[in-house]
Amino acid sequence: MKKLITGIGAGLVDASRSAVELWLVYVGTIAGIVRGRRGGRPKGEIMRQMYAIGNRSLIFIVVTLGFIGMVMTYEACLQLQRVGIADYSQVGMQYIKLIVTDFGPTLTAMMLATRVGAGIAAEIGSMKVTEQVDALRMSGVLPIDYLIVPRFLASLVMTLVLTTIGGSVMYAAGGLTAQYSFGVNPSLFFDLHLLRSRHLILMLVKAVSYGAAIPVVAGFCGLRARGSSEGVGWATTAAVIGSSFAVIVLDFVISAAALFVTGGDL
Amino acid sequence: MSVEPAGTAIRLRNVRKSYGRHDVLAGVSLDVPRGGRLGLIGPAASGKSVICKLVCGLEQPDRGEVEVLGESVVGKREVQLGDLRQRIGMLFQNYALFDFLTVAGNVAFPLEQRGGMAVGAIAERVATRLRAVGLAGSEGKLTGELSGGMKKRVGIARATVADAELVIYDEPTAGLDPVTTQKIYDLLAADQQRTGATVLAVSSDVVALAKFVDEIAFLYHGHIVYRGPAATIADAPDPLVRQFVRGELEGPLEERRA
Amino acid sequence: MTWIGTWLRNIGAGALRVADEVGGILLLTWMVLRALIPPKIDWRELVKNLYKMGNRSVPIVVLTAFFAGGLMTLQTGPFVKKFGAQALAGWGAGYAVLREIGPILIALMFSGRVGANNTAELSTMTVTEQLDGLRALAIDPVRFLVVPRVISMIVMLVALTVIGDLVALTGASIVGRAMLDIEWATMFHSFADNLKPYDFLHGVYKSIAFGGAIAVTSCYFGVTVRGGAVGVGKAVNAAVVAAAVSIMLLDFFLTYTTG
Repeated sequence: MKKLITGIGAGLVDASRSAVELWLVYVGTIAGIVRGRRGGRPKGEIMRQMYAIGNRSLIFIVVTLGFIGMVMTYEACLQLQRVGIADYSQVGMQYIKLIVTDFGPTLTAMMLATRVGAGIAAEIGSMKVTEQVDALRMSGVLPIDYLIVPRFLASLVMTLVLTTIGGSVMYAAGGLTAQYSFGVNPSLFFDLHLLRSRHLILMLVKAVSYGAAIPVVAGFCGLRARGSSEGVGWATTAAVIGSSFAVIVLDFVISAAALFVTGGDL
Repeated sequence: MSVEPAGTAIRLRNVRKSYGRHDVLAGVSLDVPRGGRLGLIGPAASGKSVICKLVCGLEQPDRGEVEVLGESVVGKREVQLGDLRQRIGMLFQNYALFDFLTVAGNVAFPLEQRGGMAVGAIAERVATRLRAVGLAGSEGKLTGELSGGMKKRVGIARATVADAELVIYDEPTAGLDPVTTQKIYDLLAADQQRTGATVLAVSSDVVALAKFVDEIAFLYHGHIVYRGPAATIADAPDPLVRQFVRGELEGPLEERRA
Repeated sequence: MTWIGTWLRNIGAGALRVADEVGGILLLTWMVLRALIPPKIDWRELVKNLYKMGNRSVPIVVLTAFFAGGLMTLQTGPFVKKFGAQALAGWGAGYAVLREIGPILIALMFSGRVGANNTAELSTMTVTEQLDGLRALAIDPVRFLVVPRVISMIVMLVALTVIGDLVALTGASIVGRAMLDIEWATMFHSFADNLKPYDFLHGVYKSIAFGGAIAVTSCYFGVTVRGGAVGVGKAVNAAVVAAAVSIMLLDFFLTYTTG
C-alpha cells in the first residue's frame, strides 16, 4: 500500500515538474516571438514550416474528416430513425453548428496532433540526440527561438486553415451521406441559418488554442529526448499523447467556458 | 572586451556532477592558462565529455565553480551565456553537424549568428577554413554525403572559423586511420599557432595527443588524479597513468563502481 | 507548365508510396494470420506485452474517456434541456460515446500511447540489427515478436474500450450534474432506457478492428525502418498517421455494414 502511495506521489511530483517546464517552454516561445529575428531564426523558416504542416497534412485531413463526417451523419440519422423521429430537417442545421463549435476544430486538431505532433517531436528529438541542439547553443542560438517559434507561428495559421477546410469537407460529406442513405434533400440539409457569429468566434478560439498547444507540447517532448534512437521514439510517443490530450482538455475547458459565458445557451 | 588580468582560460574548483545516482564528477579542480594546451584522458565514461560541456555552459555543475575566460558560468541562464559562447569553439564527439544545412552552411553558421560580417566576407572565411582542413570545393555537399573523416574536418572548420579564444576538441581523431589522425593534429597545431587560442582536447589516442598538447590530465573515478607534461606521460610517476597510457592489462586500474 | 509536371510526379510518387505501404501492411496481416494456425505462440512474450500495454495505457485512457464523456454532455445537454427533454440527456451523450466517440478516441489515444511506443521499440530493435539476430537463430520474428504484440493490443484495446466507455458515461453524468443540473437518476434512467446492449457491442466490435489496425501498422513501420535515430522518428510518425487513417476508414465501413 505504501508503495502505491509513494508511486502516485512520485508520479504527481514528476508530472507537476513537467507541467512547470512545459509552461516555461510556452513562455519561452512567446518571448521568442517578441524577440523577433534576434534569437537566430532563419529567414523563410516560417513559410517552410507552414508548408510542412499545411500542405502535407491536407490530404490526410480531408480523408479522415470526410470519413468521420459521413459516419457521424449516418449515426445521427440512424438514431433518429430508431427513436421514431422521421423528421430529418434539424439534422443539417445542428450538424453545422456542431462542426463549427466543436468537431471541426477538435477533430482536425486531433489528427494534426498525430501527424504534426509526431513530426515535430521526431525532427527536434533526432536533432537533440545527435547533439545538434547543443551545437546550436554553442553558436549563441536559443533552441526555442530557432526550432519552436517558427513551427508555433506556422501551426497557428495552418491549424485555422485546415480546420476550415476539414470542417467544410465534413459538412459536405455529411450532406452526401444524408442524401444517399436517408433521402434527405440537400437544400434541407445545407441550411446555415442557425449559425451565429459567436459560434465562429468559438471555432476561432479553439483552432488557435489547439494550434498553439500542439507545437509547444511536441517541441517540448523533442527537446527532452535523450539517448539515441530509443530516445527519439519515446519523445515522439510522448508528443502524440501529450498533444492529443492537451487538445481534449482544451476542448473541454473552452466548451465549458463558452457555456458559462453564454448562460447555457449556445 | 579587454584582456583579463588573470591569465587563466579555464578554472574549475571542486566541481561535482551527478546524473541520477551516478556521480560522474566527484570534486574536480583544474586550471588551464591562456594559450595553454591541455589534453584530458581517462577511461571510457569517466566524465571527460561532461567536463567539456560544463566549460561551455551546456550543463550546470551540481556544486563547485566553473570560470571560463574570466567569467563564471554557474547559475547563468541560456540568454546570458550567448556572448561567452561566441568566444569558444567546440568540436563535438559525434560532430553534431546540422543535417539541414550544407557544409558551407555549417561552417558559416557561427559567423552568421554573431552578426557584423558581410555575406561576401563570411563566404571567403568559410572557403579559407575549408581549404585549410583539406575540404576545398565541398561547400555545397550535405552531411549525408560525407565520410566520417570529412565530417570531423567540417566540425573542426566550424569550431575554428570564428577564431575563438578557447577551443575544445572532444575526441578529434576517434575512428580515423593513423595518417588522417596525424594530419588532423597537424591542422589543430597550425591553427593554434596562428590564433594563440587556449586548447582543451579530449582523446583516447594518447600517443598522438601527447605530441599536440603541453600537458595531460588524467581523469579517473571522478577526480583529476594526475597532471603532468605530455612529453613524458608514458613514464609518469603515477602507476595508474602508466598502466592506462601503455595499455597494460595488469595494474591498479579498476572498473568504475556503478 | 513544368510545375504541373512536378506536382503530378509528386502525387504519383506519393500514391506509389502509399500503395507500397498498404501492400506491405496487408502482407504482414496475412503473415500474422498464417502464424496463428497452428497457434504456436510464445506465451512469455504474450504475457509480457499484455502487461506492458495494458498497464501503461490505463491512466491516459481513463482521463481521456472522462473528458470525452463530459464533452458529449456539454454538446448535447443544452440542446436537450432547451426542449425540456431531460430524459433524453443520457441518450444524446450515451449513444455517441458508446458507438463512436468512445471507441475512436480511445483507439486514437491507444495508438498514440501503445502503438507509437511499439513502433519505437521495434524500430530500435531493427536498427540495432536484433531482428537479423533472431533470424540467424532460426526464430521467425513475425511469430516471436509481431503476433504476441498484435494479440495483446487487440485484447487490451477491447478491455480499455469497455473500461473507457464506463468512465465516459460516468464523466457524462458528472458533468451533467455539475454543469447542467441534470439529476443522476435522470441520467441513469435515460442510459438504461435508450441505450441498447447492441450499441455497446457495436463499439466493442469496432475496437477489435481498431486494435488489429493499430497493431499491424505499428509493427509494420517498426520492422521496415531505415536509418538511425532520424529513421525511428519517421517510422513512429508514419505509424501513428497510418493508424489514424485506418481507424477512420474502418469506422466508416463498420458503421455502414453493421449498423
